[in-house]
Amino acid sequence: MTVLSMLEPFLPQLLLVVFALMMPALDYIFKDKRILAAVALAPLVGYAVMLVAWTLAGVWEPPESEMSLIEVDLFSGLFALAFVSVGIIVVLGSPESIRQERNHGEYYALILLAVIGMTVVALSTDLILLFVGLEVAGIASFALSGFSKREKRSAEAATKYFIVGGFSSALTLFAISLFYGVSGTTAIADMGPAMEAMFSSFDGMDSVGTLATVMILAGLGFKVAIVPFHMWAPDVYEGSPTPISALLAAASKNMGFAALFKIFLLGLLVTKADWDVAVAVVAIITMTVGNLIAVSQTNIKRMLAYSSVAQAGYILMVLPIGTEYALAGGLFHVLTHAFMKSGAFMVVSAMGVRGVGESLNDFKGLRTRSPLLALAMTLLLLSLAGIPPLAGFASKFVLFSSAVYGSLDPGPSWLIWLAVAGVLNSALSLYYYARVIKYMYMEKGPEDRISVPRLTGVAILFAVVMTVVLGVYFDAVVELCQQAAGGLFNP
Amino acid sequence: MLEYAWLIPVFPFVAFILIAILPKRTLSWEDGAGYAIGGAAAALILSVLVIWEVMSGSTMVGDGPKFEWLVIGDISITFGIWIDQLTAVMLVVVSVVGTLVVIYSGAYMHGEGENRRRYYAEIMLFISVMYGLVISDNFLQMFIFWELVGLCSYLLIGFWYETPSAASAAKRAFIVTRVGDIMLMAGIIILFKYVGSLDFVTLFDQDTAAAVPTDMMVLATVLIFGGAIGKSAQFPLHEWLPDAMEGPTTVSALIHAATMVKAGVYLTARSYPLLIQAPESLLFVAVIGGVTALLAASVALVATDIKRVLAYSTISQLGYMTLALGAGGYLVLYADTGGGYSAAILHLMNHAFFKALLFLCAGSVIHAVGTNNMRLMGGLGKKMRITSITMLVGSLAIAGIPPFSGFWSKDEVLAAVYHAGEFDGIFFLLWFMGIATVFMTAFYMFRMWFMTFAGEPRSDYHAHESPKLMTFPLMILAALAAVSGFALFISDGFKYFIEGSIGGLLHEVHHESATDILGVIFGDPLTYVSLVLAAGGILLAYKMYCVPGFDRSVFARGISGRLQVALENRWYISKFYDDFALRVVYSISLVADAFDRYVIDGIVNGFAYLGGRSGNVIRMAQTGNVQRYAGLIVIGLCLLLIFMLYIVPWGGW
Repeated sequence: MTVLSMLEPFLPQLLLVVFALMMPALDYIFKDKRILAAVALAPLVGYAVMLVAWTLAGVWEPPESEMSLIEVDLFSGLFALAFVSVGIIVVLGSPESIRQERNHGEYYALILLAVIGMTVVALSTDLILLFVGLEVAGIASFALSGFSKREKRSAEAATKYFIVGGFSSALTLFAISLFYGVSGTTAIADMGPAMEAMFSSFDGMDSVGTLATVMILAGLGFKVAIVPFHMWAPDVYEGSPTPISALLAAASKNMGFAALFKIFLLGLLVTKADWDVAVAVVAIITMTVGNLIAVSQTNIKRMLAYSSVAQAGYILMVLPIGTEYALAGGLFHVLTHAFMKSGAFMVVSAMGVRGVGESLNDFKGLRTRSPLLALAMTLLLLSLAGIPPLAGFASKFVLFSSAVYGSLDPGPSWLIWLAVAGVLNSALSLYYYARVIKYMYMEKGPEDRISVPRLTGVAILFAVVMTVVLGVYFDAVVELCQQAAGGLFNP
Repeated sequence: MLEYAWLIPVFPFVAFILIAILPKRTLSWEDGAGYAIGGAAAALILSVLVIWEVMSGSTMVGDGPKFEWLVIGDISITFGIWIDQLTAVMLVVVSVVGTLVVIYSGAYMHGEGENRRRYYAEIMLFISVMYGLVISDNFLQMFIFWELVGLCSYLLIGFWYETPSAASAAKRAFIVTRVGDIMLMAGIIILFKYVGSLDFVTLFDQDTAAAVPTDMMVLATVLIFGGAIGKSAQFPLHEWLPDAMEGPTTVSALIHAATMVKAGVYLTARSYPLLIQAPESLLFVAVIGGVTALLAASVALVATDIKRVLAYSTISQLGYMTLALGAGGYLVLYADTGGGYSAAILHLMNHAFFKALLFLCAGSVIHAVGTNNMRLMGGLGKKMRITSITMLVGSLAIAGIPPFSGFWSKDEVLAAVYHAGEFDGIFFLLWFMGIATVFMTAFYMFRMWFMTFAGEPRSDYHAHESPKLMTFPLMILAALAAVSGFALFISDGFKYFIEGSIGGLLHEVHHESATDILGVIFGDPLTYVSLVLAAGGILLAYKMYCVPGFDRSVFARGISGRLQVALENRWYISKFYDDFALRVVYSISLVADAFDRYVIDGIVNGFAYLGGRSGNVIRMAQTGNVQRYAGLIVIGLCLLLIFMLYIVPWGGW
């Protein structure tokens, strides 16, 4: 095994690294900062084309990895596709949004690094590599959230994010070391059998396993913003430059789920009886708290942040249900959430570019001020609320119905309550999504028109089109997700 | 070509989207009329290509492209297209009338200013979903479009929503047709329960249909026909259609004369393979049709609003079609001929052309005079030559004077009903009702024509002919109204053509030459009875409204006087509904409202209050203090640990 053949599966990541390193230098060469965005876009689009050719079109197969640390499978492919798509949307929306700032080169370099970290998490089959990916993405996003240096809000957001993030990283690492202690391995797939053997030969070891499970749930729960590890999210989403909020809400959160799915459904499935009730309770609390607080928000970015918390609750259902169909629903919702949430943030960003604020009142009369933005926002919000035939409906439908199927024999019957909670929460969430639509269409606002910033407009269009397409091609996408989920359960 | 038929609804839909979202300056002419005409014309071309292909013998029944949208267990919800002879005729009717109405609107809606964008958007949405309705290949898809045409009808009746009468008419139309929609839905659910599929191809298989218990099949088909009663304004749910005349006249012409109200007839014709299984339902269909035809025609005798005359006439003619479908079912069952079925569809097509023509002429008159009241018109013939002549063509067609189109189809309808009398005596009674309607139709149509165009002006107006953009569609439609009846004789004949869509129900298809058909029509003494009655109706109208010195007050005395009062009150049906709604429904709704307000709302408000309060309480934890955040993480972690180590094992999960 030569070094080169070892690195072969990492070629896209290497490409991203090369571009990331180039960016600060290019910053000195080009006056027009849009060129930087275009350069940053190149490897992302390239990677996306590769992923589409592989996962959707099936015209190409990635090389088999010879390393035991990673697994290039459909599961990682779909996650990578979500990350790269969000990356594209964020980069497209950035030049207009951060044009007041300096050091654009670093900004794009950091975005590329964050995407690298996320894709590494999706690929890794080993706890150590997984942690490395988490940290690469995490550190890049700490810096990005504080990018608007002159704004107090941004600096505050970065500080909070960094402190809480560091604390959570410590928890994650501690959990990993405990897992190593009780299983003697860091390979996720081998953890389960090893732990079983350990628990049966040593008394009290299972408590250590439980402690590790709780700690990993807390550490990764920070990334995906589940209650009570979500407190940072509204502050950080509000304070960061809006494209970065999109990156955090739509991609960073999904990275957390990639890790959670791998660890809980691949590594910890054997001890599922110990943790499923607890995780289910957390899921229900998360969606309820997220939606309840979102109702009382008047800042759109904060509202979207709490809506993200609620969505994390929906996706978290996958762990206690733990079936292939549930995981397919989780994957599907990860994909749809990536597009609808990043799209919604980009609409806010587009308005920010035109000097309009981000409070609910600023959306008054958007219909006459910018019919296209209003229409895009309406579609995205309706999708978030889960209205057919948009993507959000489709993926929620699979998620909730997987809870119903899971509650049938031989699964535990209480799983049905997850579906009930999900449906009730969706109804609750419609209130605050529809309120924005009401403000845009029913209320009278200022008369002046808002023109849509061009690049941000393209990003929004991409997100909206995907939101519609994923809903319309419901069946094909579910099948793909089911294939990916099957790959994780029976490699 | 047929596999591209799904594009037909797409073109108008694209026009709808463009008109709805494009900035005002890019809409240019008439706020989007250009896009509307383009979308309608594209669909027209495709529709003509489709019927061309269907005429050359190819259909797409159950073997077309399907789009699977949702799979729940064994049930899959698919969208597909179904194109047979019936679909092709409907496509052509909708596209021809739709295109001409949109062109006509270019001038007619000129004065509406800002609202034109809304008008064209809604019209295009309507045309699109109407196509969707007729090409659906299963009941669910059809029902979705069925509801959407209802929505568009509601929006367009209420186009002038600032006028209270328009707003309430829109609501009334929506609610009354909803009664039918619920029945339709119930019928569909019954079918689904027994067959397990909603695809036409499965349901229309005679072995599958026969497996449904007979009484359930009767119930299902009667309920499905209930949907048609609402949508096609049949007795007793017909009173919404005259009120729907509150909308713009173009809307009345397109939706409430030529296309949407035909959806009920189309549904009944489409469900023929099911209706055949339940002869009781066929009888019900025929009786409703006959009663409606006579009842509505009688009210039209005394109406003075030009559009209401046409509205009641539409109801009456729709009754004819329903009657023919009911009788036609008996003919298919016992005489192995599709005569009634083909008569109904031919009348559907002819009626679409001549009634759209009549409405657009009425629109032209209203445009010139500024009122709907015929008592204030008169003497317009000289000033509006094209309108008066085209309207005369339409009136001759509907009155059933040869060689205009209405004669041929009406004659076929009556012949089919008479023929069905051989198998059940009640059809003789229905035939008498039909033949009486012929007389009334001729009378009220020419009463309208004479009151409008003949004599001297009865009020002060300066009428002039409408612009070319309006008279052009009139002339096209007049030509169609004059000749569309000859479809009976084109190539193999309309009857042979349309029987293709119920081919599975007939054992042998009779092939008749043009001379055969002519021989049957003119060799039958009954044809002359209806001709004499029609001529008599016209003559009476002439005597009463054109001959000076005719004392019309003789009718206002005695029994005929009381009859007249009853007719002017629309047989008190409307009043009955109002009273019924006021007394019974309103009291029930008061109770329901109280329940809703105090019990349901109380619970909901309680939850909302709780939600809001708890949201605020939870929000308190969100202090912005980062130490607090970290602290909460630790607390959450500890709670989770305690929960997992002690509470879960103890709870016995």
